Amino acid sequence: MNRSSLIISWILQLSIAAIFIPTAYFKLTGNPESVALFSKLGMEPTGRYVIGFLEAAACGLLLNPNSAVHGAILTLGIMMGAVIAHSSKIGFSDGVFGYIAIALVIVSSAIIFIRRKQIKSIARMLS
Amino acid sequence: MAGSVDLHKISRFANLAIPSMAVLFFLGGHYLSFYFHFLTVTFLLLTLVNLFYLFIQKKHTLLRNFGILGQARYIIESIGPEMRQYLFANDTEERPFNRIERSEIYRKSKGIDAASAFGSQLNFDNAEVKIRHSMYPVDKADIKPYSLTFGEERGLENSYTITKPYMVSAMSYGALGEKAVRALSRGARMAGIAMNTGEGGTPKYHMAEGGELIFQMGTAKFGVRNDDGSLNDDKLRKLCAEPTIKMVEIKLSQGAKPGKGGLLPKEKITKEISELRGVPMGKDVVSPAHHIECVCKKTTVAFIKRVQDIAMIPVGIKLCIGKTSDFLEMVLEMKAQNIFPDFIAVDGAEGGTGAAPKAFMDGYGMPLLPALYSVNKILVREGVRDKTKIIAAGKLINSSRQFIALALGADAIYSARGFMLSLGCIQAMLCGNNTCPVGITTHDPSLQKGLIVEEKAKRIANYVHGLEHDFYEMLAASGIRDTKDIKIDQLYIPEDTALAGQIKALLNNPNL
Repeated sequence: MNRSSLIISWILQLSIAAIFIPTAYFKLTGNPESVALFSKLGMEPTGRYVIGFLEAAACGLLLNPNSAVHGAILTLGIMMGAVIAHSSKIGFSDGVFGYIAIALVIVSSAIIFIRRKQIKSIARMLS
Repeated sequence: MAGSVDLHKISRFANLAIPSMAVLFFLGGHYLSFYFHFLTVTFLLLTLVNLFYLFIQKKHTLLRNFGILGQARYIIESIGPEMRQYLFANDTEERPFNRIERSEIYRKSKGIDAASAFGSQLNFDNAEVKIRHSMYPVDKADIKPYSLTFGEERGLENSYTITKPYMVSAMSYGALGEKAVRALSRGARMAGIAMNTGEGGTPKYHMAEGGELIFQMGTAKFGVRNDDGSLNDDKLRKLCAEPTIKMVEIKLSQGAKPGKGGLLPKEKITKEISELRGVPMGKDVVSPAHHIECVCKKTTVAFIKRVQDIAMIPVGIKLCIGKTSDFLEMVLEMKAQNIFPDFIAVDGAEGGTGAAPKAFMDGYGMPLLPALYSVNKILVREGVRDKTKIIAAGKLINSSRQFIALALGADAIYSARGFMLSLGCIQAMLCGNNTCPVGITTHDPSLQKGLIVEEKAKRIANYVHGLEHDFYEMLAASGIRDTKDIKIDQLYIPEDTALAGQIKALLNNPNL
């Protein structure tokens, strides 16, 4: 991992965190928009808390250099779920969240790619 | 094959099943409950990883053929060493030290009774050197306490006397982390024994604890070198004037990698290392295979003299024996020039190291017992045994092996790994990776955190105390009143040991 890709990785990590901090906060505090969204999915309220908690956890993992790659994997999982939700139930017409989800799938994949050597099981195998 | 599991078939099934499950859970998520999508996502990720293994990566055949199931092998293999050590390995089968040997040291270090029960787990009808006892054991009170003075042969004013036959063998700051060095040297001071500094340059952390030190001069002469790797007289003189430095050891070769130099990569040269070792930053430093000054027996012996003249304290050499004829020739040269090192440390090929190429660690050098016997024999035969002292090194971690070395002619014992074990080493074999789990051979602060210097120093002292206790018990059992009387006839040496072979070889050939 050279210096420039490390800087790129950190910019991407911070941008995910910048998105997740408010969204996790809104989910966990029961913001009406979040409640409406999860009602559409039939996951209100448990699913809202679970996803909110996972987003907060991903945020924490992403901000620590040793666990950033795992945070990115978690982000990828959450966002793949979000893309499924938008494409199958919610639709992309109201608001930007659907597009943000797609963007975050790409961003988190990029972090995983940059930091691929830090995935322990792979690192051990390649050594 | 009938009856056997066809893993290839299973993996093909798994490779199909994983994406199918993703589809299935997607349908579940769409029509039944959105919660199914947690599983959809999981299986989608697994599918992606599997596709990567099967079609994109090219390095691992197994993963390309079997996909994600093939990874199980790598995961299981990677925890193999731990599983074997914790669960499956016999008490007597691990190397370099098996569990019995290790636990003896742990017990001594913690000051608990190291007696064992029911019977020995070692073999008795095969090739192992054992110690003979006397029909008439003596009283421990009648045994003359051990004492050895280095440099007495030359009538040195600054001779060095030890009162316990043990010394901590060469371990540098660099190979070991700061805390381990401090714990070792503090423990050595508490136990009243000397510690070798290793070839890590000015032994700042060793000296910080105020114990008695043997300064090791490696082939790169870290700490006392000129830029071309030759000896800087002034630096050596200054260092030897330090009150804590009691002796100097010129390292000619090392048991774990005899005849091999080394390389200190520039990434490892921090500001501190650069200062302590006297090397520039930002440049790889080569440790040559031999001292620049020592290219033949003549120059080697002359170099010993030069260092002796500068140091004004006892100066010895450390070497691993390759050809005994080489050693014989050097002894003859010493006789010719009438120059003798104050001690000769014989390092067996089984000696330890932080890092050495496998071929050298496994394949090079003479094992300690035959090497030690040869060195002693040659010195006796040439009539110069009283001109120098012999120190033995190489897996001498327990009392019986140490006693065997003393019987073969050693005057004192070096051990490094014995003291590492007493420091808490669990033989994780990661000394070269900076990831030592018990904080000994690492500079990682988070791994050194658990090593409490105060506590571990006591362990070192306990270990030495335990060894010494055993030593006098064994002397009593062998009927020996003076430690200088431990002789080879004290040993039972089976026919087919390497030692017996060497004894025979020397007997039949006076040129060896």
